[in-house]
Order: sequence, then C-alpha cells, then structure tokens
Amino acid sequence: MPASNHGGSTLPEMRDAFGKTLVELGRDHLNMIVLDADLHTSSKAGMFKKAYPDRFIQVGIAEQNLFGIAAGLALTGFIPFPSTFAVFATRRALDQIAISIAYPRLNVKIPGSYVGIPTSRAGASHNCIEDLAVMRVLPNMYVADAGDNNDLAAIMRAAVEHEGPVYFRITRYTLPEIFPANHQFKWGKGERLRTGSDVTLFGTGMMTAQCLEAADLLQADNISAEVVHLASIKPIDRQLIVESVMHTGCAVTAENASINGGFGAAVAEVLGEEYPAPLRRIGVRDRWVDSGGINDLLTEHGMQPSDIALAAKAVLQRREQRVIR
Amino acid sequence: MRLSPDKFNELELRAYQIRRLSVEMIAFGMWGHIGGSLSMAELLAVLYFHQLHIDPQNPQWAERDRLVLSKAHGSPALYAALALRGYFPIDDLYTYCDLHGLEGHTDMTKTVGLETSGGPLGMGLSVAVGMALGLRRHEHAATRVYCILGDGETNEGNVWEAAMAAAHYHLDNLIAIVDYNKVMAKGFTWDLMSIEPFVEKWRAFGWDVVEVDGHDLEAINHALHQARWVLPRGKPLVLIAHTVKGMGIHEAEFNYKWHTHAPDAKTADRFLRELARRYGKPEEGFSRMQASIEKESFYAGE
Repeated sequence: MPASNHGGSTLPEMRDAFGKTLVELGRDHLNMIVLDADLHTSSKAGMFKKAYPDRFIQVGIAEQNLFGIAAGLALTGFIPFPSTFAVFATRRALDQIAISIAYPRLNVKIPGSYVGIPTSRAGASHNCIEDLAVMRVLPNMYVADAGDNNDLAAIMRAAVEHEGPVYFRITRYTLPEIFPANHQFKWGKGERLRTGSDVTLFGTGMMTAQCLEAADLLQADNISAEVVHLASIKPIDRQLIVESVMHTGCAVTAENASINGGFGAAVAEVLGEEYPAPLRRIGVRDRWVDSGGINDLLTEHGMQPSDIALAAKAVLQRREQRVIR
Repeated sequence: MRLSPDKFNELELRAYQIRRLSVEMIAFGMWGHIGGSLSMAELLAVLYFHQLHIDPQNPQWAERDRLVLSKAHGSPALYAALALRGYFPIDDLYTYCDLHGLEGHTDMTKTVGLETSGGPLGMGLSVAVGMALGLRRHEHAATRVYCILGDGETNEGNVWEAAMAAAHYHLDNLIAIVDYNKVMAKGFTWDLMSIEPFVEKWRAFGWDVVEVDGHDLEAINHALHQARWVLPRGKPLVLIAHTVKGMGIHEAEFNYKWHTHAPDAKTADRFLRELARRYGKPEEGFSRMQASIEKESFYAGE
C-alpha cells in the first residue's frame, strides 16, 4: 500500500479541523469575522457561519472584493478571515492582498484552501503551487503550512495573536497526527521531530509526514536522517536550519508546492548565505499539476517518501564526494 | 443647506491653496499627477473643511468619517488638504517623493490622516465597503465612509464587484465620489475605454446617483449634505462630479500630457502665477524656486 495514502484514516480532514478551530477562536475573539466567496461548504468556513451567522460575510464570487472588504474590516477593528481557495486568493487577488493588506500591515488572516496536490481531481487551474512563493515575497506577510490538524489549530491561534497579515494553508487531505492536541506553534520556530546524523529532511505542511516516512526508509538502509518540521515558512527558523545542517552536512527539503521560490527556496537561501551544503528540493518542478488521483500525482511529481529517500541518498553522496576532494 | 458667505470664501481659499500646494509639491518632489490633483481641489476643500466629521487632534477617533482616496495618484491634493487641516506641518509637503518623506502614492503607516494605503487603481471602493460594514457593526450610525474614484479607474472590474456588494449590503453610510475629469493617463475616456452611460451603470448596480459640477462649491456641498443626511435610505450613493482635469492651469486642462508630469521649477513658477491670476489672488510664484533648481541639478539624469 502506498505509504502516503491515508484514505483509511479515522482522523478528520484538515479542512474540518480548520472549521472547528475557526469556531473555537470565534468564541474568544468576538471581533473575528469570516468572509467567504461562495466556497464555504468546501473550505469548511461554513462551520463558523453556522456557529456565528452574524459574523459571517458572503461576498459572492469576487475575490478581489473579498480582500478589499477584509482590509476595510481590519481598519475598523475586526480580525477578518477572508476565506477562499488558495489559487483565487494568491493569484486573482494578489494585488489586493499586497497593497490593501500587506503594505499597510493590516491584521488580516488569510486561509488558503485546496493547496498543492490534493484538490480532489480539480486539475491545474485549482492546484495551487505558487502561493508559498508569492506570499513569501510580500513584506510584512507571515506564511505557514501546517503538518497536521493540531499544528493547524496552533498556527491559527498564533495567527490571531500576531498583529499583522498572515497567510496559512489548509490541505484538503487527512494527515497522520504528528503533534499533540495542546501543541504550541511559534512564528520563526521549527521543530526537530527526529534526530539523525547523516542528512536533514526539512519538511513543511503535508510533506513533513512524508519526510518521517522517508526517514524510516533510510533507517532500513542504515542512514540516519534528521527530520525538521518548519511550519513557519516566514519568518523561517534560520538558526535551526543551520544548526541541523552543520551537524548532518546535507539536506533535502519537501513541500506540497512548486520548488521555485517556495519553501525549498527559502531553506536554500538560508543555507546559501550561512552554510552552503548539498541540497535537493522535493516538490512540484516547474510544471502544472493536472487532474489525477492524489497518490498518482504524488508519484508523478516525485513527492513520495521513496523520492525523498532517494534525494537524501543523492545529497549524502555529494557530501561524501566533497569530503574526499 | 447653503454655505454661509464666510464659509464659501473659506472653501474657495482652501481649494485655491490645495491647487497651489499640489503644484509646489509636485514640482519640488519632481514627480506626481497634476491633472488629477487639480481636478478634485473643490471636492477636497468641501470635504475636509466642511463635510467630514474629523478631528486632526485625535486622528484615530473611532467615530470619525473615513475618506478613502482610491485614485491614490491624487495624493498631492490630499496631502495638501491634510496639512491645511492641521494633520501635519505644511513644510512636510516639501518632502513629497523623497526618501523617508511623503510617499508618492498613499501610505497610511507613514502619514497621519490617511485612512488607507493605495496606488493600483480599482481597489479603494472595496476597502471602503469593508469600512462601511465594520462601522455599521460598531453602530456608529452617524459616521460616513467617502471614497474618491477616478473616472478611468472605473474600467477596473474590482470597482463593480465592490459596487455590487455595497448595494447588496444596503450601505447607505457609504458615499462614492467619482472625479469625472474625462481624461485618463494616455487620452480621453471615450477614446481609451468608454464608461458611458455612466449614471445608468451605477443605477443598474443599485446605487443612488447625484451629478454635480465638481468645481461648484455650493453644488458639491449641497449634494454631500443630501447624501449624508437626506438620502440615506438603504442604498449607497455615488456623487458623479464633472470636473476638468488640470483645472486652473490652462496648459494642463483637459490635457492627458499633464496626467503624470512634474513641471520644472520655471514652469511651476509660471503655473503658480497663472493660478493666482485665475483665482483673483495676488500674483505669487514658486516659493521654493532656488531650492528646486538646485535639487533638479543634484538629481539630474535620474
């Protein structure tokens, strides 16, 4: 059975955790408003609508307006969560997010739903692979991709506590549980999930679970892999990245997004500046992600645990060659 | 409600000062949009010196009226109005477009009195809709949100998304004002992209529409008074202000070539003298003539 197919899991899908956490946060934060552009039953923002109908604003299929209205609500003291699919947020409304929200550093929390590979066969137009790159480049914007449902809830709590714009991803998938229910997330802080000495696997979002499985595969070949989860992509934990690679000497990154400009690029920037080391990036490689089964797509794009393990062996080999020279 | 003679004279003077200062800061800043600044001088004079419920001593007053300048390239006129109203010293206007000075477009984090940041056209009305929704939730019933748009700006689809939402949510605390100066960056509206029938468009989107001569202080004030106190009845209102781009300087009037173009010091001096004559004021040239010439030569070639 393919290791990444969690179809038999009894855990809730991440979008259900999103809806549930919105409701929980809304209980304590009476100035929280959820906005939607005709997708609330898909994104599960509808759970908030059901709990607090008077704090739910429907704007219709108009994403540019969605983010402008969110900016206006933030300017009058509310904490808006303008919710839509990640493609529509970060492509259609990028200018509004950039200039109406990020530039004046408004307190808007942007959930990006349906990210990367798992979008239920919707195809290239709906598989958001560029959001990490485009959100990361906006000054003032914080960016996070949760590793599991408890991580997502922690990110959402931290998003509300942080005064300023935040973009966070919700994977339309059921991820294995990595973190405890009372998990704490801190901006700019990563988590060493497994210690190892031969290679570091840096994961974000759903790919951290794949890294953990890859570490098991590598273990079977007597390769000791360290697994570091970096949910906070911006700010990123520079110290932990460098510390880990100083110890292992080589690294693989894995993200449910394009490797161009995204998470792998962020790690590469840190290593390039602070501690150059052999590095491979796992993720979508400058291609559109067409319709398909989730597991088929992960295989097609070389994003399975076995692909991560192969990449780990490749960087290890390069590290060894360097030592010999 | 007619303006008292004193108020009328004051607003006329303010419009004149907004024009002068816009020209001065664009010339000294060596960048900016003269045409779209001069076309809304009367609109800003009536708003900032009569209609807006604001307190420069308490710029964050929760129940203040909000003004969103969606056509943010008109920033010189807005900065001039804010300075004249006492938000910051007039001298600050001469930092326009300099590093750490007043931003070319609008940056609310840099300048007190600005309610939003902007630049790209088409976005402001959505933000104003969000503010109007937010203020209604706070039950600030007397507070109004004003949003000034350019005519060419209404080519942007985002404007009509916002217009649809404003009507859907019955935002009668929202007043849009279109500075309908007929000229865009590179030509006339009817050549580049027709916006007519304009009144019908807004009506079809569910708005009340009032048309005025955008340089007639009495007409603007009457319309804004109506919009604020008489007409709120479950619909947003748009004031279509027919204006002249570059109003007050013959060469810039109705002329797209003065959409984005900073006059050099000597041209600014000529423009300012012309403004004085046109508005029956004592002739006065560019107040920073020498400094401006020096600045021009320092930055020559940039």
